[in-house]
Amino acid sequence: MSGQDRISASVAVKEGQAVCAACGHDLGPATKPWKDHAQRREIPLAQAGGQAYDTGHEGVLLRHFYCPGCAALLDTETAMAGDPALDDILAERG
Amino acid sequence: MDPMTFSIIRHRLFRIVDEAVITLKHVSGSAITNEGHDLMVSLYRADGTLLMGGVGFLHHLTSAAEACKSIIRRFEGDIHEGDIFLLNDPYTAALHTSDIYLVSPIHHEGRLVAWSACFVHVYDIGAVNPGGFAPQAPDIYTEGFSSPGIRLVAGGEMRQDVLDTILNMVRSPEMVTLDLRSMIACNNVARDRMQSLMTKYGAKEVDGACAELVNQSEDLFRARLRELPDGQWQSRQYLDVNGETARVNLTMTKKDDRLIFDFSGSDPQSPYSINCTKWASLGGLFAPLFPLLCYDITWNEGVLRPVEMIAPEGSIVNCTRPAPVSVATVGAIQSVNNAACSTIGKMLGASEKYRNQSTAVWHANHFAIFKFGRNQKGGDSIGILTETFAGAGGARSFADGVEIGGEIPNPISRMANVETVEAAFPVRYLFRRRAPDSGGPGEYRGGTGGELALVPHKAPDGGINYVISGKGSRHPMSEGLAGGYPGAPNSYVWVKAPEDGANTPVTAAGGLDAISGTQERVSWGVYPLMGRDALYVRWNGGGGHGDPIVRDPEAVRSDVAAGLVTLQSAGDIYGVALRDGAVDETETMAKRKSIRSARLQQEASE
Amino acid sequence: MAGTGETSYLVATDVGGTCTDTVIFGTDGVIHIGKALSTPPDFATGVLNSIVSAAEPMGLTLEELLGRTHLFIHGSTVVDNAVLTRDGTPTGLLTTQGFEDTLHVTRGAYGRWSGLTEERIKNPVQTDRAPALAPRDAVVGIPERMDCDGAVVLPLDEAAVEQAVRFLVNEKQVGAIAVSFLWSFLNADHERRVRDIINRVAPGAYVTLSSDIAPNLGEYERTSTAVINAYAGQITNDYLTSLQGLLAEKGYDGATMVMQGYGGLLPAAEAADRAVGMIECGPAAGVIGAKFLGDLMGDPDVIAADMGGTTFKVGVIQDGKLEYAREPMVDRFHYLAPKIEVVSIGAGGGSIISVDPRTKVPHVGPRSAGARPGPICYGQGGEEPTLTDVMLLIGYMDPGQFLNGSITLDREKTERIFKEKIADPLGMSTQEAAIGIYRIASAQITDLIREITVERGLDPRDFVLHSFGGSCGMLAAAFGQELSVRRVIIPYTASVNCAFGLVSADVAHEYSVTQNLPATTSAAQINAIFAPMEERARAQLAAEGIEPDRMRMEWSVDLRYSRQVHEVTTEVAANTPLDDAGAARLVDDFEALYERKYGRGSAYREAGIEMTMFRLTARGLMPRPTLPAEEEGSADASAALIGNREIYVETKGGMAPGDIYDFNRLQPGNSLKGPAVIHTPITTIALPDRMTARMDRWRNIVVEFDAD
Ligand SMILES: [Zn+2]
Repeated sequence: MSGQDRISASVAVKEGQAVCAACGHDLGPATKPWKDHAQRREIPLAQAGGQAYDTGHEGVLLRHFYCPGCAALLDTETAMAGDPALDDILAERG
Repeated sequence: MDPMTFSIIRHRLFRIVDEAVITLKHVSGSAITNEGHDLMVSLYRADGTLLMGGVGFLHHLTSAAEACKSIIRRFEGDIHEGDIFLLNDPYTAALHTSDIYLVSPIHHEGRLVAWSACFVHVYDIGAVNPGGFAPQAPDIYTEGFSSPGIRLVAGGEMRQDVLDTILNMVRSPEMVTLDLRSMIACNNVARDRMQSLMTKYGAKEVDGACAELVNQSEDLFRARLRELPDGQWQSRQYLDVNGETARVNLTMTKKDDRLIFDFSGSDPQSPYSINCTKWASLGGLFAPLFPLLCYDITWNEGVLRPVEMIAPEGSIVNCTRPAPVSVATVGAIQSVNNAACSTIGKMLGASEKYRNQSTAVWHANHFAIFKFGRNQKGGDSIGILTETFAGAGGARSFADGVEIGGEIPNPISRMANVETVEAAFPVRYLFRRRAPDSGGPGEYRGGTGGELALVPHKAPDGGINYVISGKGSRHPMSEGLAGGYPGAPNSYVWVKAPEDGANTPVTAAGGLDAISGTQERVSWGVYPLMGRDALYVRWNGGGGHGDPIVRDPEAVRSDVAAGLVTLQSAGDIYGVALRDGAVDETETMAKRKSIRSARLQQEASE
Repeated sequence: MAGTGETSYLVATDVGGTCTDTVIFGTDGVIHIGKALSTPPDFATGVLNSIVSAAEPMGLTLEELLGRTHLFIHGSTVVDNAVLTRDGTPTGLLTTQGFEDTLHVTRGAYGRWSGLTEERIKNPVQTDRAPALAPRDAVVGIPERMDCDGAVVLPLDEAAVEQAVRFLVNEKQVGAIAVSFLWSFLNADHERRVRDIINRVAPGAYVTLSSDIAPNLGEYERTSTAVINAYAGQITNDYLTSLQGLLAEKGYDGATMVMQGYGGLLPAAEAADRAVGMIECGPAAGVIGAKFLGDLMGDPDVIAADMGGTTFKVGVIQDGKLEYAREPMVDRFHYLAPKIEVVSIGAGGGSIISVDPRTKVPHVGPRSAGARPGPICYGQGGEEPTLTDVMLLIGYMDPGQFLNGSITLDREKTERIFKEKIADPLGMSTQEAAIGIYRIASAQITDLIREITVERGLDPRDFVLHSFGGSCGMLAAAFGQELSVRRVIIPYTASVNCAFGLVSADVAHEYSVTQNLPATTSAAQINAIFAPMEERARAQLAAEGIEPDRMRMEWSVDLRYSRQVHEVTTEVAANTPLDDAGAARLVDDFEALYERKYGRGSAYREAGIEMTMFRLTARGLMPRPTLPAEEEGSADASAALIGNREIYVETKGGMAPGDIYDFNRLQPGNSLKGPAVIHTPITTIALPDRMTARMDRWRNIVVEFDAD
């Protein structure tokens, strides 16, 4: 990774560490899944807000990953129970 | 070579594709080709590799290359000037049987120098359901005529026996004839123009320019990849059909100037026709790759070279014969489109230089609804509900997605006017508009999708029937980025009129719930739209970008005023309080603060 | 009015984006030309300046000229300008409830990609719609509904209309209201009742009904048209009123006729209420002017190419007939109104040349240096090489001869920058690189024209090419040859062609009725559709002072094959009203036209043929001024030969000596051989090797390709 890179608009990289882009909270090495260091919440999609998400089916989840430092919502995933988190990592440049 | 001549030849190759597309649309004259722009024309080099892809349904560019290559293999030594080959077998190269490829060798002074290829979605292919999408097909054998390669035109002469055999297997053979004629005319134009280009500049010079063009695209794409960070990005799509859900899992790895798309872990092939073959998956991942990463690079073989795909055999993204695939283009292929769009969007977002090119997933879920039946004039009418081409834009890192703004894999598309549909089909719309809360919330909101309701109107048979391949009404498929929510999923509802004999509704300003009757979800198969019943369809919005609680409260207010976001979502998701149509700033701050503290009161991540 | 015996004048003034051009025809047979800069947004000033610039050399003051003028014909870019600069009246929209988003949704992505170049379409992430002219919060849905037969499904809720009008006027402060309901083109009753309510509740508001302005199927385009018209309506009214006032003040007491995008004229009072009709009327006039010349010279098939500083425009005249645009747009907004098709791309003398730093491939455009800073050689601060600079470097422009020597071109600076920015990166000499860029520009224009003709099912080899505008003459012979057109003509009036087109036009009204009928419909039934339109048209023309013997009623019908999307407007060639043979001929003509346009094998008779729209063009023929023709004299052009210098000669593969001629010294009949360059007061004509140019009796330059 170069000094210019980040993991996403919400997760920045500072000296090889993934950090919350809003508050700088450390989220572990950028080469490892940062979600392991985030606060995770799983809610049924139907309860995510508004009416359009309520499809009348159970088992569809919306996952939120928050910054433990400032509670910024860093990422979302649609998921079914038990499916692993989606991991986005940067690699060291060879 | 001389950069001036190169520039001239390059420009002319673009125009040749354009002229061929015009010819295709002219001769075909069908709505799906002309309105939906469900077509593709491209040029290939003598060995079948992609030379120049046009703006059409982009997931065909690589499949048609494979079609050329398999024709070369099959007919080696027996390919002659003026021949045109037909290929539509998905297990050879095609996406599904109703997207027929016609490929033509282009000769110059007796030597094979290039190929042209095109497709249209033909009117019918003789599958178990009319229109080509066959939700009731259990296998490829019931999905209509299919050929791994057959000579349709020999030395400029139509092989009438072959044509008659094909037409003997389809509904509406006259319309299919016209589709085939349009593709023949299109290939003829491409061939004539390529030949005169070679006559003017010399075959060797043109071929040199083509080689240069391919190498240039490769160099440019590799240079762009090197500018992007190395890493690994994941996405996942859930495809639900008839109560079953299949996963498409993708891990995209970028290292130096290479890009690997690995679909390992995707679910086994489905009993339903949403599967796709490996050539279709390859096309599916390139459809977003071309416009997102190569917007300023010529779309050809050079872009393919740095890319590798891993797709496990027997999975939904690389199914084995005789799995049915007729709904692939709006099934697994679209999920591959979406998954690739999502990982590419993430990679672009990780780069300082390219973050503005990053986008959440656009219109992730087509709904193929083919209406068929007798219309008000007593004639037969069959046609797709073109709202499926209307789409919705994904949010970008700097702006909201475009409301009902189309899709990435088909840059040029549009839907028909309400009046056009009502003139041709015995139906009446109760409403057609943007669907509130359909765009994925975020700091930048996904573009809204739309909603419509249809009732029978002046139908001689009391209504019509429709084939619906409507998967994906459980899971949102337009993923968000960087904390943005996904766009809301599709919804298909059959509103059954109450028994008390009330009249067909004439208006429903309040939307779905204002239509009286009982609501039943439909998604897969053939259904009636009869009597006083109504069909409601909502299509998905684009994914959002960034945390919704940092969205500018003024933007939320204006969304609510425009009916794009409900008051409830404004409060629950965006944390914005409105009072008398204005933002209550104190209340909004308090609300957002309480949302933040509620977030951290959860159990820590395991 | 002019007194008898005294010369009286027809004055035509066209306001374009940059210049306002005037052509004056005297009854003495003399043509006078004037030019001034356009003066947006107060265009009337430029109009008067332009007329003055033509009157001065005649030795007349503005008042003297206008006092002897019997007709004033006008074309103006006022509507285009109001839309482009978003300078119109705040506008609201009343539409059918449940369909409030129609305008803003633009039939899906259609409004997002329409009007964009292919380069931009290929990068969808960076594209958006243009914000609509009526904001979404100024759209109100009204409970009402017609069906596909124009039958009322839901009656109009008049109380809701009144409330909506008050809301728009009081809360949203709109000054104009567009009304567009579903199926209103079949039954306009609801829209008309809404107009009555608006007139009562908000008498000051400007109102446009979709059923008046665009009575055609397709609610998105019809609504968009009504909104554009409402938005620009007041400005157009004000402009035409004030212009007529100014002219009257200066002594003009005749009629003012206004050019329409379909190439016909309307009296100013009528034009004022049809703002959309004036969109792109200048380019339309240009095509009309080319058609007039084509008719005069016996060439019914003409490709009219106009290349100025920023754009390249092409119109096609086939068999003396003009083609209407299928999906016209202004800025990025769609509208429905008959408009002559003029295809425009961003390529002109000001197009900037660049070299892609990644690939070292040179590009012409799409960016333009415009009028300011302009090309480097103009010395007005331009620092980027343009196509005009290339023309200087390959010897086609003379540094001392530009615009009659009013500007001395800076060759030294041009060469320096071109070398640094283009030639060096390409690893070529300045001369080689400049020649290469010229070849690229010529090839790209060739490609464009070929595509435009293919789209119409035409072959460029059947056409004569007319070259208009300041930059076209340097390229026209080259791309004309590659297209194998029959010959290339640089008209004498090339510099003021649009104004010239104004005087070649007739009064024309367009009427249409949308109705879906089988091709087997009887002649009597077709006649019954046209009869009320004709009656209306004759009354209209009579009210404008057109005598019955100068009225022409032209019928046409849109037909298509059932289940096909392409509609073809087919002229009724038989005598009208029709008899059954005439009706049958109409269908035959349609089939022939369809195959010609869409290619052999495209016709699909088996599905049946249907008629979808019935169109009437009602013409009031205008007196046509005659172009003065001179005797053609000797072929010897040596009196106009003013020098010889190195110019680019394609057959020599580089620079070679070429003769230089002065247009003003050429006489009708003079003939000269390429390679040569002819300098005219406003442009340069480059004549390649193996071509011959001749000045004809109207002082047009006619370029013929030598036989092999
Ligand atoms: Zn934080």
